[in-house]
Amino acid sequence: MRLLGRRALVIGVIAALTLTACSGADTDTTAGGNNGLEKTTIKVGILPIADVAALFIAQERGFFKAEGLTVKPEIVASTQVSIPKLVSGAVDITLGNYFSVLAAQEAKMANFRILADTFQAKQDVFDIVVRKDSPIQSVKDLKGKKISVAALNSIGTLAVDSTLRANGLSPEDVEYAPMPFPEAPGKLASGQTDAAWLTEPFLTGVQKDMGARKIADTMTGAMADFPIAGWTTIEPTLTKYPKAMAAFQRAIVKAQQIADSDRKAVEKVLPLYTQIKPETAAIITLGAYPSTLNQTRIQRVADLMLEYGYLKSKMNVGPLLVPMPQ
Amino acid sequence: MILSRVVRGATGVAVLLAAAEVAGRTGLLDTQIMPLASTVLTEAAGLAVDPEFLRDVSATVEVWAEGLLIAALLAVPLGVLLGSLPRAEIALRPLIEFLRPIPSVALIPLVALIAVTDGALKVTVIVYAACWPVLVNTMYGLHDVDPVAKDTLRAFGFGRLAVLLRVTLPSAAPFVLTGVRLAASVALVVAISAELLAGGEGGIGVYIVRAGSGYRIDLMLAATVWAGVIGLVVNTLLVRAERGLFRWHAARAGVAQ
Repeated sequence: MRLLGRRALVIGVIAALTLTACSGADTDTTAGGNNGLEKTTIKVGILPIADVAALFIAQERGFFKAEGLTVKPEIVASTQVSIPKLVSGAVDITLGNYFSVLAAQEAKMANFRILADTFQAKQDVFDIVVRKDSPIQSVKDLKGKKISVAALNSIGTLAVDSTLRANGLSPEDVEYAPMPFPEAPGKLASGQTDAAWLTEPFLTGVQKDMGARKIADTMTGAMADFPIAGWTTIEPTLTKYPKAMAAFQRAIVKAQQIADSDRKAVEKVLPLYTQIKPETAAIITLGAYPSTLNQTRIQRVADLMLEYGYLKSKMNVGPLLVPMPQ
Repeated sequence: MILSRVVRGATGVAVLLAAAEVAGRTGLLDTQIMPLASTVLTEAAGLAVDPEFLRDVSATVEVWAEGLLIAALLAVPLGVLLGSLPRAEIALRPLIEFLRPIPSVALIPLVALIAVTDGALKVTVIVYAACWPVLVNTMYGLHDVDPVAKDTLRAFGFGRLAVLLRVTLPSAAPFVLTGVRLAASVALVVAISAELLAGGEGGIGVYIVRAGSGYRIDLMLAATVWAGVIGLVVNTLLVRAERGLFRWHAARAGVAQ
């Protein structure tokens, strides 16, 4: 009897597992007809950062729905994942930071197309900070020190390289320690790194929690108002779904304008897709949300990457930019 | 006896938590880096009633269960086949030993190239990792069958299939279940690692990524606590199932508790 009871339990568990497994099938409705779109549900790769605020504003205010689109955001943790996912079609569009997209374009990992600009640096959006009691007072004191960046060969190293050069040092004068942003404050506090290149909300966090001191804003000089990221797809996807992509562009640009002019709108959506505290969201420094995709601006990224050796040859970004539909 | 085991286990956890709390309160651990144990536990309790987090948990459990089930459906028959065909096993053994140590999370970028949905990507890497313990245990289980019992049946004129069904499979079953239990833990680890590395629409790992992006170390740890709890529950259930279903095996192997 007891044995029977246990057997029933095991069979029950197996049945439950089978049911869960069956319910896992994805239903991807790609039926056309709605506003003539080739595809009405599009999957969009995002990172849980301020850069993508406009996507959630558009979502919340029904801008996508008005275009006949259902947008499903999913987190893509890095370009190592987002590029293969674009190629396989697991996502149709992804947040792409320009540095990574241009480097991957040169490496011929895919033929990228940028649909819209989404985030641009402003004052104090990407700073270098040190501990409260650190002897490091200025960028010059960073010589021989260990500084954390989000990744090697990234916008982070480009930004710090440029700040070092502006202060008479070279990138070889420091040691870069790549680590995800959430790990950097702990490593800085415990002395495993001497300085950290950070963005929000970590910048506000370390200054508030551990009295960390800013020694430089990296988005100055050659990198003032630097373009950070744009909504990116690949050429085959654009060719296959031109109307759906155009619908996405129209909706996102409307939301970009709101994000750029109404800080409260951004603060409101941030806690929807990150676990940021609303009171933190209210005080962090935000970048700009451009509503035009300007070739001159994006070309700056390619040119600076070339100057610092992150691109091998001159790249014309013109063909990558998708014009805004009427 | 079970009660005293539970009490002892709980004491171990309590001592560790108390030590962490004291270390935080006395300043031995910087609470900016490592939040107090009490803070983490409070947040963890809050997560238990947070619908958003519960959706993430069910997303993880879904890919985990799907991956484990597919792994078992693939690996058990293959293990039985290889275990009964020694020549095929000798031929495939080097290949298995070559593939087995490859960390399945390292395959994520590769699998992402062909997986058309995020769920398929995760289930694929989970199946890859969870197959090996089941396969290898099933093969060992088949080797371990009492030859006298098989010969006896054969002597009475039973065919190969009858011997397989009446002696070999029942005898190997405890090994198979042990393999599934080991695979269940591996699958959970891989599911959450894949979410951390690849992201996705939801999952405990995705929650940890979102918490990290909001600079909420307390929530990252609280979600991690739940990952551990789920692993503990799954393991306990499967150990129970093993003991209940195969008491005779435990007695024979001399590991009865």
